[in-house]
Amino acid sequence: MSGGSDVVVIGGGLVASALAYGLTRDGCSVTVLDEGDVAYRASRGNFGLVWVQSKGDGLPGYARWTRLSADLWPDFSADLLSETGVETNYHKAGGLHLCLSEEAMESHAALIHRMHNVHGAADYGAKLLDRADLEALAPGLGPDVIGGSWSPHDGHASPLYLLRALHAGLEARGGVYRPKSRVKAIVPLASGFRVETDRGEVHGDKVVLAAGLGNRVLGPMVGLDIPVWPLKGQILVTERTGPRLSLPTTFVRQTEEGSFLLGDSHEHAGFDTTSRAGIMADIAARAIRTFPYLKDLRVVRSWAALRVMTDDGFPIYDQSETYPGAFTVNCHSGVTLAGAHAMALAPMIARGRFDEEMSMFSVRRFHVQAH
Amino acid sequence: MSGFPNTSPNPTHDLAIIGAGPAGMAAAIEARKAGLSVVVLDEQDAPGGQIYRAIEATGGKRRVLLGPEYAAGAPLAEAFRGCGATYLPKATVWNVDRDLGLDYSREGASFRVSGRALIIASGAIERPTPLPGWTLPGVTTAGALQILLKAHGIVPEGAVLVGCGPLLYLIAVQMLDAGFPPKALVETSDPGALKRVLPHLPGALRAWPYLAKGLKMIRRLKAAGVPLYKGASDARIEGTTAAEAVVFSKNGVTHRLPTDVVALHQGVVPNQQVTRLLRCDHVWNASQHCFTPVLDAHLETSVDNVFVAGDGAGIGGAVTAALRGRVAALRVAEKLGTASAEAPSAQVSSAQVSSGQVSSGQVWASLLADLAKDAAIRPFLEALYAPSAQVRSPADETLVCRCEEITAGQVRAAVALGAPGPNQVKSFLRAGMGPCQGRMCGLAVSGIIAEARGEAPDVVDYYRIRPPLKPLALAELATLDPEPSREAPL
Repeated sequence: MSGGSDVVVIGGGLVASALAYGLTRDGCSVTVLDEGDVAYRASRGNFGLVWVQSKGDGLPGYARWTRLSADLWPDFSADLLSETGVETNYHKAGGLHLCLSEEAMESHAALIHRMHNVHGAADYGAKLLDRADLEALAPGLGPDVIGGSWSPHDGHASPLYLLRALHAGLEARGGVYRPKSRVKAIVPLASGFRVETDRGEVHGDKVVLAAGLGNRVLGPMVGLDIPVWPLKGQILVTERTGPRLSLPTTFVRQTEEGSFLLGDSHEHAGFDTTSRAGIMADIAARAIRTFPYLKDLRVVRSWAALRVMTDDGFPIYDQSETYPGAFTVNCHSGVTLAGAHAMALAPMIARGRFDEEMSMFSVRRFHVQAH
Repeated sequence: MSGFPNTSPNPTHDLAIIGAGPAGMAAAIEARKAGLSVVVLDEQDAPGGQIYRAIEATGGKRRVLLGPEYAAGAPLAEAFRGCGATYLPKATVWNVDRDLGLDYSREGASFRVSGRALIIASGAIERPTPLPGWTLPGVTTAGALQILLKAHGIVPEGAVLVGCGPLLYLIAVQMLDAGFPPKALVETSDPGALKRVLPHLPGALRAWPYLAKGLKMIRRLKAAGVPLYKGASDARIEGTTAAEAVVFSKNGVTHRLPTDVVALHQGVVPNQQVTRLLRCDHVWNASQHCFTPVLDAHLETSVDNVFVAGDGAGIGGAVTAALRGRVAALRVAEKLGTASAEAPSAQVSSAQVSSGQVSSGQVWASLLADLAKDAAIRPFLEALYAPSAQVRSPADETLVCRCEEITAGQVRAAVALGAPGPNQVKSFLRAGMGPCQGRMCGLAVSGIIAEARGEAPDVVDYYRIRPPLKPLALAELATLDPEPSREAPL
């Protein structure tokens, strides 16, 4: 058995890496166990929004948690830059949601109204905008854009540079990253856990299951049922061009490098991660309807990844009742929640228990009998 | 097996072929003889591929200049034109589904065809040659010079050719014949090459005409007074805004050859974009220093009904390419014929197939014997013209990803951070994310990671390739029939 750590984190994507980095900030010794070069790795297909305005419909606590993360992001990003030299390209210029039909506008207006009630009008800050307002913020809208909303708390960042910054930050703080170490078994011991991998064993006083869809298999090893499932998303990336769009929108954003990212799809396609031409065409058509000036830009690549989804769309944070010290963290907002995961959730794991308000994310909510 | 589980419900053709070089043309001819309906998609505006580029248009003097092996493409192109396959020139395939649907771009719009089987005959690409200064204007490749010559009869003056491989000598002789000899030929194969080569000489003698041709080319260059620098190392191109000189070491002496045109070449490697897109299995070919798709004896990949013929199956040259095209097409006819016994096809009658015309033992035996004979020279060439170590393992400061301007040193740093392979390196650095889809950096990045991790290149593996295979205007993509990407209205 190779040397023990305070915490063994299983997974190497944005969720695991943010927690691992946060745990080292809290003074823990950390070992991260990751798969090889090809994993489902939703982080690589993330659109890169740090997004608040539409999050938490039906669960006010999730709205607050998302907002906390967005509030933490500026410091989080600045710390990563100073510790690693890696710029996450985080910009908090506010974000837009654009509606392309009366039907969409009506349902979006209702959502924004509900969110006002959740946050309180003063605190929420988001507002509905008509076409003229939108045109001032994002010139060049297509005729089909009839309205939308804006929030000052929204922003965007590079998911890929964020992942690299987290890995670099982990290394700088003495954390150990072990790739190609797929976990075969987690064995609860009298004290701590033994984690068996393709490349040997490690010991941790605590273990954190943050392996995305892999948690479905890992959970039962520590007495946790983790009902996450894949929701496929595809996005397109264009060649670089001059700066044109200063604010991110829900489906179109321009990156620091000048590429446009165009999203996205919601597909129930099992574990298939191939790009599909018909879906790509739909995404392309929507992007052109939104900003017709995009039409001549060339698409240079596509991504398809699997969101780590739950039945209600909210995260699962829990600690095993059978084997205390075994935690799990699951969500599909790896970028938005990275700030909260690193700076708020990791310290709770270091202390040995999630705060009471995190109980809303317990997996127990899925186990209530339906009759 | 119940026929074709991975094909579209109503394929437009029995067989789709990507590429109209020697392999694609020969495959189409053979498949048509067997009665299959065939569609051939090719990027160029006329058949021939790279090796026989512009074969139909190149007459008289230029054809003589390009030699008898080039001229051999003419009858093949003629037979292809008359074979009855649906031929789509100027068609760029930008996506292939696992169900063998092909999305392609032609004159500004996108279309779709599909096959019950697919033969990928997209040939080879020149091995990218990352060395200092390779991105400067004025630096091109030997292959690009040859395209200028074949298609337009243009030859630059005073070019310095740098690298290794038979093509480098061929283009030098062709430039000589055209009246514009290169200023110098700088060969980077290392001095130990001769020792590696000798064991392969007996095999090479079986392919005597190739060997004789190579020796003749070298003699002609020497006779014409073209300086040949053998065993050069540490090659680099100097220049501030454009190429100004080629600098290299030979026997401890530094040479500097002023020039504003530099053509680099380190041999050719299989174009693996389509087989990678389809997630076919690949292996590292240590002799050719490249990845090749895993193929069975009949050139079928690990994906059912997907075949590779031509140089995409491993570098073998034009004669081998055409033979492979025939092998793959015969096998497709055989497989579709078997399937048609259960599910009759409109295009193939089982009588045709079982008559023995398309798959008799004699045809197979003769094809395989021809292939073996033609391949005899390969181990010799591969040992003699192995790509230089400088290109396989570039120095830290050398750019490897031209699109995103990533150096070899940055790739090594990403490995030190824990990246186990090219896809995590791509995530960390953006290497391979530019318009070339990794064509220019893929091999170098996999090689650098393999060396840094002390693993074999096929353990490290390669970039995941996704559509579009070539950059595609958003408006053109939007012309395809959409599938709804979301449930809720937007």
